[in-house]
Amino acid sequence: MSSRIEKRNSRFINLTLWALTIFVLLPFIWLIRQAGPQYILSTRFVFMNQNGIVLAWLKNSLLFSLTALGLSVISSVTAGFVLAILVIPFRKFLLFITLVTMLIPITAMALPLYVLVDKVHLTDNIWGLIIASSYYPFGTFLSYLYFVSAMPGDLIGMGRIDGLGDWGLFWHLGIPLSRSLWSVVIFFSFLNLWNSYQLPKVLLNDTRHYTLPMGLELLYGSSTAIVGVLMLIPILGVYLLSQQAIERGIFSGAVTG
Amino acid sequence: MISPYLALMLFCGFIPLVYAINEVSKPSWKNLKGSYSTIYKILGDFRVIPDLGHSIFLLLVYVPLTIIAVLALSLLLDSTHVPGNTFMRLVFLLPGIVSGGISVFIWMFFIGSHVNWNLNNEAWIIAGVAFSSGAGSWVVIQYGSLRSIPREVLEAAHVDGCNRWKLAIQIKIPMIGRYIGYMGILLTASAIQIYSEPALLTKIGLPSNWWSLNQVAYSYAFQAGDFAAGTALSLDMLIPSIIIAIIFIRKTDFLKRSSY
Repeated sequence: MSSRIEKRNSRFINLTLWALTIFVLLPFIWLIRQAGPQYILSTRFVFMNQNGIVLAWLKNSLLFSLTALGLSVISSVTAGFVLAILVIPFRKFLLFITLVTMLIPITAMALPLYVLVDKVHLTDNIWGLIIASSYYPFGTFLSYLYFVSAMPGDLIGMGRIDGLGDWGLFWHLGIPLSRSLWSVVIFFSFLNLWNSYQLPKVLLNDTRHYTLPMGLELLYGSSTAIVGVLMLIPILGVYLLSQQAIERGIFSGAVTG
Repeated sequence: MISPYLALMLFCGFIPLVYAINEVSKPSWKNLKGSYSTIYKILGDFRVIPDLGHSIFLLLVYVPLTIIAVLALSLLLDSTHVPGNTFMRLVFLLPGIVSGGISVFIWMFFIGSHVNWNLNNEAWIIAGVAFSSGAGSWVVIQYGSLRSIPREVLEAAHVDGCNRWKLAIQIKIPMIGRYIGYMGILLTASAIQIYSEPALLTKIGLPSNWWSLNQVAYSYAFQAGDFAAGTALSLDMLIPSIIIAIIFIRKTDFLKRSSY
């Protein structure tokens, strides 16, 4: 009897989820049906004409997103580990500043960042944008929450007894137990960088230095849709690469084995 | 090990923050003599009170509804074997991963470009766009945190007679409390500081140029060239976010270090 109820409930949950999925998917299906074939045909036109500017934006976006991704992910995951596991001075202060800088509107931070980047002569330069975008407090907090919850104190204590130092703990316990966390932070950091709009708008002037989301504004019209749809491809690629880890769970580390 | 992060935090977080706070005291159109009183003088702008009302609306409607919907979806995805689970999470993410330009087209297709707008519903439309673009990412995170709960704990609760509902309410939700707190803090900040959604809707005909406090701050800082006023308003937006963050932190053991 209870197994029959169980099956009925599972079927109901599946139906509900599929109904919601189709509801969310509808506008996308509509978009593709209404405009898909024309857009696909004119993709080549957009990339080959416009004096190759779209290709330049694509190159800038890739260089910016991938370099800043490496810097942001490594710095934020290691920081999350240190703040959660190690004994360091001003720990709560650092967490508080991380939180404040995550919550402050970009409007307040954009001009100071512009002034600082200008002081090191990197305005209108993709490297200035890379440095200014590599600070990723969201990833630090997510990593901090992961390490604080998923790495049992006993395990860290045993690591210490085995003679592991801070780096040893990170290499031998932190990294192997946090592969799924890395995937999640990589995905969200990439998403954030790839779609980044406000900061590039403040730091870059020359249209040839633009990234794709900024360029999209100039193209506003049917070409926006083509480039916009193409912009989804790298995000979907990163999502599919990281989905296996996400499926296993953010915390599938020491606790769940 | 933390030095790369500290360097980035110093250069891209702490110094700009101190600079911005210092900048508030400089002369502004709202305070010609210049002092920190700009922080409250800016609240006298005629757009602030209606925009504050919009923020309160989002805090009361968008934040709780998003939390409930995200938790409901994540719990449903985690409660049984769902074929196509990964695909579903991807679909929920889609409205959030399309960039501003293309999402205008999607919303035009979704709502219709020849609709006569009922402006009384503007707040609901903006809350809807914010929900659709933000919920998917949180489903991915909360589903991930739910998958982290040790299977033994869930099996033991099941053996003790917990059904799906009790399992969700009594075991799963308390065990992911920190993640829910994190989501609450960030959703609160995004409700107070909402920018892209109303800005996006101006492109399809909604008169939303100054719909949100952040749009007003942006117009001061980058259109009127009054950075002191823009930053003062940004700091005003930061204060309630920090207060709510502190409440969440106190209610959960958010800042507790892993003990050994």
